Amino acid sequence: MIGGQDHWEILERIGAYAASELSPEEMREVEQLILDDPEALRLAESYLRMLAMLGAIGEETPEVPEAVIDHAIRRAVVSAFFRQAEDFFAGVGRAYLGAFVYYLGLRAAGSAG
Amino acid sequence: MTFEDYNLTRRAARGDIEAFSRLVREHSGLVYRVAARILGDSDAQDASQEVWIRVWRNIKKFRGESAFSTWLYKITVNTCLSSYRREQSRQAREIGDDLSYLPVPPSIEDDPETAALAGERREQLLRALGRVRAEHRAALVLRHMEGLSYAELAQILEVPDGTAKGWVYRGRAALLVALSEDSLEGGSA
Repeated sequence: MIGGQDHWEILERIGAYAASELSPEEMREVEQLILDDPEALRLAESYLRMLAMLGAIGEETPEVPEAVIDHAIRRAVVSAFFRQAEDFFAGVGRAYLGAFVYYLGLRAAGSAG
Repeated sequence: MTFEDYNLTRRAARGDIEAFSRLVREHSGLVYRVAARILGDSDAQDASQEVWIRVWRNIKKFRGESAFSTWLYKITVNTCLSSYRREQSRQAREIGDDLSYLPVPPSIEDDPETAALAGERREQLLRALGRVRAEHRAALVLRHMEGLSYAELAQILEVPDGTAKGWVYRGRAALLVALSEDSLEGGSA
């Protein structure tokens, strides 16, 4: 009978057995448990059914709503536009600043002369 | 990672909308599928949109050290877990109670009787999955629905291999318990 403090551990172990994730030695241990204990056998069968259902749902390919794709692309377009606009205005600003510095340099040179 | 994906990510990182659009069209299935399985169909659309916004914002940071799909899984799972936590705290604030999430399955159009039975089991499983701790649920989805290895899970969930494995082990056991509780509640045990 499965019970007591290690119940959860045994439950996890039978799950790993059903998923074929145990080493050969561990597999043998769980197989022995299943042979000895009808409850362990019932759990292993339940796990197999559950994993088969999970796998079956995993095979499904839900249709992606077109709105998801449209929204993603639209957001990227808007973001790219603002990114370009930002680059453009930053470039213009830098050019003006450069011209202003150059102008100040000329004035300083003129007044020194 | 395919050369095409790498090329598209590089172009998208330089602001190429066409390249980004192709990435979205080619990989939106993965994002939507994982979001639907972690959060349920009703929240999958919003989460998917958020994922793609994050991808666009962060694509420059993608260096091609892992497959693009691995990077995308990571962003999708993180977005879903954040969305789930936000929703949980909102519900806790509004109702003062911890409501479990009940995903809505899509309709099945096969033979009505088989479809009804399959639909019922499917609904039961997804309902039970919604009762599993969010991190464990994400690990289960990646392992048993997406068929990924523990090494891939660890990379996506950003935890050591042993933790990823532990989450799957615990998730499986918790799902089995939730399923049997659901059966008992439904009187079909």
